[in-house]
Amino acid sequence: MFNLNRLPAPYGLLLNRTKKIAFSFENKTYHGFAGDNIASALAANDQWLLSRSFKYHRPRGLLTMAGQDANTLVHLPSDPNVLADRENIREGLKVMAQNYSGKLEKDRGAWIERFAKFLPVGFYYKAFFKPRGAWEKWAPIIRKKAGLGVIDPDFQPEYYDKQYKFYDVVVVGGGPAGMAAALQAAQSGAEVLLVDENPVLGGSLNYARIDAQGVQARITQKKMVADIEAHNTIDVMVNAICNGWFADNWLPIVKGRRLYKIRAKETIMCVGSLEQQAVFHNNDLPGIMMSSAAQRLIHLYGVRPGKAAVILTGNTDGYGVALDLLDAGIDVKAIIELRDEPQHNDMIKEVIARGIIVKPGHAVYEARKSKNKPHLAAVEIRKIMEDGICAGSGEIIECDLLCMAIGYTPTYQLICQAGGQLSYDDVTAMFTLTNMPKSYQIAGSVNGTWTLDAVLTEARRAAVVACNAIGCSTLGKETEVVSDPVVNPAVDPVVDHGDISPNFYWPIFPHPKGKEFVDFDEDLQVTDIINATRDGYEHVQLVKRYSTCGMGPSQGRHSALATARLVAKATGKTVAQTGVTTARPPFSPERLGHSAGRSFYPAQRSNMHYRHLEAGAQMLQAGAWYRPAYYGQKGSKAESVKSEVLNVRNNVGIVDVSTLGGIEVRGPDAGEFLNRFYTFAFIKQPVGRARYALLTNEAGVVIDDGVACRMHQDHYYVTATTGGVNHVYQNMLQWNAQWTLDVDFSNVTTAWCGVNIAGPNARVVLQKLCHNLDLSAEGFPYMGVREGRVANIPARLIRVGFVGELGFEIHVPQHCGEALWDALMAAGKDQGIRPFGIEAQRLLRLEKGHIIISQDTDAMSNPMEVQMGWAVSRKKPFFVGGRTITEFEKKPLSRTLVGFVVNDIKAPIPLECHLVLDGENMTGRVTSCEMSPTLNKPIGLAYVLPEKSEVGSQIVIRSTGGALVAAEVVGLPFYDPENQRQEL
Amino acid sequence: MMSLQSTEQLSPVQYDRRSQLYRRHLDARATFKAVASILAVDVYSTAGSEAEKAAHLGLADLSTHPRVGFKGRGAPRWLEQQKAELSSIPHYAVQQSDGSLIARLSEEEFLILSDLDIQASLAGKMQEHDTPGSDIPGSDILGSDIPGSDIPGSDILGSDIPGSAEKVYLLPRHDSHCWLALTGNHASACLAKLCAIDMRINKFENGEVAQTSLARVNAIILRHDLGRTPCFYILSDVSSTEFLWDSLLDAMQEFEGMPVGMAALKELSKSD
Repeated sequence: MFNLNRLPAPYGLLLNRTKKIAFSFENKTYHGFAGDNIASALAANDQWLLSRSFKYHRPRGLLTMAGQDANTLVHLPSDPNVLADRENIREGLKVMAQNYSGKLEKDRGAWIERFAKFLPVGFYYKAFFKPRGAWEKWAPIIRKKAGLGVIDPDFQPEYYDKQYKFYDVVVVGGGPAGMAAALQAAQSGAEVLLVDENPVLGGSLNYARIDAQGVQARITQKKMVADIEAHNTIDVMVNAICNGWFADNWLPIVKGRRLYKIRAKETIMCVGSLEQQAVFHNNDLPGIMMSSAAQRLIHLYGVRPGKAAVILTGNTDGYGVALDLLDAGIDVKAIIELRDEPQHNDMIKEVIARGIIVKPGHAVYEARKSKNKPHLAAVEIRKIMEDGICAGSGEIIECDLLCMAIGYTPTYQLICQAGGQLSYDDVTAMFTLTNMPKSYQIAGSVNGTWTLDAVLTEARRAAVVACNAIGCSTLGKETEVVSDPVVNPAVDPVVDHGDISPNFYWPIFPHPKGKEFVDFDEDLQVTDIINATRDGYEHVQLVKRYSTCGMGPSQGRHSALATARLVAKATGKTVAQTGVTTARPPFSPERLGHSAGRSFYPAQRSNMHYRHLEAGAQMLQAGAWYRPAYYGQKGSKAESVKSEVLNVRNNVGIVDVSTLGGIEVRGPDAGEFLNRFYTFAFIKQPVGRARYALLTNEAGVVIDDGVACRMHQDHYYVTATTGGVNHVYQNMLQWNAQWTLDVDFSNVTTAWCGVNIAGPNARVVLQKLCHNLDLSAEGFPYMGVREGRVANIPARLIRVGFVGELGFEIHVPQHCGEALWDALMAAGKDQGIRPFGIEAQRLLRLEKGHIIISQDTDAMSNPMEVQMGWAVSRKKPFFVGGRTITEFEKKPLSRTLVGFVVNDIKAPIPLECHLVLDGENMTGRVTSCEMSPTLNKPIGLAYVLPEKSEVGSQIVIRSTGGALVAAEVVGLPFYDPENQRQEL
Repeated sequence: MMSLQSTEQLSPVQYDRRSQLYRRHLDARATFKAVASILAVDVYSTAGSEAEKAAHLGLADLSTHPRVGFKGRGAPRWLEQQKAELSSIPHYAVQQSDGSLIARLSEEEFLILSDLDIQASLAGKMQEHDTPGSDIPGSDILGSDIPGSDIPGSDILGSDIPGSAEKVYLLPRHDSHCWLALTGNHASACLAKLCAIDMRINKFENGEVAQTSLARVNAIILRHDLGRTPCFYILSDVSSTEFLWDSLLDAMQEFEGMPVGMAALKELSKSD
């Protein structure tokens, strides 16, 4: 029957009754209205069973109706663990329950409860490990049983993003305290953000009964919301959750698929409090809920929460609920009053006047399940004899609804994240929060303030304090909107909370049959908590980890206080001494999409990038840079690289070297700086010459290399490796901060686009484009530097021989890179010029015996080990690492990097990091190895023992599959040992 | 620069200096126009007024427009000797009488941006001498010592202050950085999706400069309104130009922003 439990308008503040929506739950179709969430729509249709508990598979239903418990976790297509009391229904939505086998109503997994005796707290730390091998058998079973929800592996990523926002004052919580604070702050001229997790502002004003007639709350809400809407300096975010507090009032607010990163000058937390459950036998049955949950159902969703109700209360709120239920036509059988002598205020008098039975000094001893369905059918009430102990017998009251109004904990999480300290008075059962950081206020029930007038006064006061701190002040200003008197914190006292507490100090009643749940998420009962302390875990933090109490989806919202009470009693301490566990962000479940946002992955491309793609390059990523690996079909790497190498050796090729680092070192002390910074000597380097630059750190370890080109007396253009240039630049700045030489550094890596044109025909091609440059061997010798124009593009040219052939490195302004590429390819067309990629370049340089920093060197490689002693000046008084290198040279080497060849071309080619063995001993490793098309055999570099470094030595390398490959140490370079080709 | 054909056929590939984004512009059916000796997008072929779109939220590519940087102890005094008007404090820009813009990035570092029409005399000099080798410090600034060089030097692009030891060093901003312009009433909200700096119009002044992170890349952001329309110049590492352009367009979608050309920017500049 459609909407069996629906109440008529004006009940249902959030509903749009003109729009009917069909959805399904457990493959059965239901109908609700726009504005319903899944839980309210199901409740309207008398479907109260929503899930099965984690451990015992007990039937579970609504508890808070506020998205604060895990009972309502359901499964949507591609979306597990959705809170049914937060997720609105939409047309065609398919909802399934979680954590059951077979059917939700008849869960085959429920059998496990019969073995509860064998599943005490912490049992998994003791079971499943013996005998040896037992865990491997248990693990798959437990893995299948554990967890909530199922991930959809075909899930398509959705669009999430983030946005910064900045405010003078951010108020978290849109109830009466929050609204009052926001209005006061706005009146003071502040730019305000008001955030609330619900669909509308008002908080408890939307559903609670604060006066006997039940009218004041709604009137107040309407007026305050209207005042807020009239203010143009208050931004309102509803359906938004503040999920944490970070330093300097940085607040992450989740709304929809966006994470707002809010920076507030002042924060005011009006986050309210969380109603708590009583602990008694079967307190988890569907039909047992917080009193505020019943009120939310009635007033927000127009749903009758039951037909026959009992209220368990320890404060005035329970009486308000009773009146609300009566007004909604629900039979209120009795109010079970935990207190012996509650003070008769207007609310209680009205309840009595309307004939509701009140049983003071009584508790609900146990709840009883219906025989026909997993739902509450009756409660047994008994007189309280002493704390937690009831009389031997009692009275049965039939009901299908039990509302619990036994107290609250402040929503302390965001406050404690900011450093606030939560304290508790065992006598008054009242909480206090202190030690808030600067620029941070709290107000309302979170601060233990309960009556409406006191809440509003406190909130306004907090806003005035906040605004004063940032230089906004309302004192003396006229206001058009807020007509209530302004609080002057200099004159008006802090609100006195008195000793009125809504918290009953001991709502825990152990039962011989157990099943008095302290933590619903983890199915933890009273004995579980007590036994944890008996097992030696007396500190509440240890109780948490040992029992998992508070570690479930609701993160202790409804178990922290009860646990603290039980642990305190078991260990002979006070609740204040026991405390609660640490609250950490996020406050509520947060998707990975929120944290990731747009996931920016910066990509770096040279100006020639698209020419590579058009030429068929297979690109690789080196850090953020995209570089061409080789030119050819995917999967044709070996043939393509071979072809590119041979073309360079025999003809002419060009490679994009734009990613290589470039640093301008300029100033009168430029030469002196380089002399100190690098191992080589630079002061006497002639203008127009390049010199190899080897960089070591203070430990004498090789960390980078490049060439230093002397452009001018006081100007060097220094290159560095792609991956090392930023580090080199930072090092330069850092060292010169000490040396204070008159020198300037500019990292111009991306200002230049570069190619290396290499091969015996390189000069022929380049000459076609350079009309005013002498490119002859005499006019432009090896390691020379020139400036000129190539295809009329201004350029720097360096004659270098990294690949071992006649080569010119041409650097042009970045935006001219593509034009340069086009010109060279056109000029070289007759010669059959071809591009070559990084893989070919690496092979060519290997044939020439050049090392690659961080491939052929490691964190311990000094220049002598890698045969670079020639690049170290022994005449300089100082260079970075020099002292250590001097000490190294006094000792024998422990290893040497040598070149080797594998003469057996049928042997599996060794790979990088394959070991060099001497019998069983590991004596070295391969750093580079490739099949050389020039030499027609595998060649490589490897670290070996010094005694094996002589040319002609035989070494053994363990290659792929464990094959032992014989290799011969040879002199470097492998190719053109006389360097004739590169110096053409 | 390569040879030009008629206006109707202007294409970036006819020029040596090509924005990293020119393919994006061609794909979006942009029409290019020669401005001085560079080529820039004039309009995109979209319906409606592009100036209105720019006033709402637009993104323009100014990467081929001249710009240059200077730094060094002598930079402030040397620039003043060139008749430049400088902000007295870092992180502000001053528009020059010739229409160019000089941003002070630190006590000793400056960024000079040309005007949109590239008519400013300072911009003209930058363009004419936009060559390597002309950034050489020291007294002999007219070209380098390197044999074979045919690069003309310039007395504007780096020099010693006569009679002092203070140096001025040129920074090749024309090539190290891309230059984009984000315009419109939603520009601040759009930037808030990519950048942690508060760039609301009432908080980030016209002429103010921030050196910050934008979509995880370093960026210089300079507010320089076009008439009544908020406008943020964004300069960032040139190698990530496409990434930044795509990131900005992605963030602009929410506000229905789109690429715009020079014609729109100029029209906005003229509005009071």
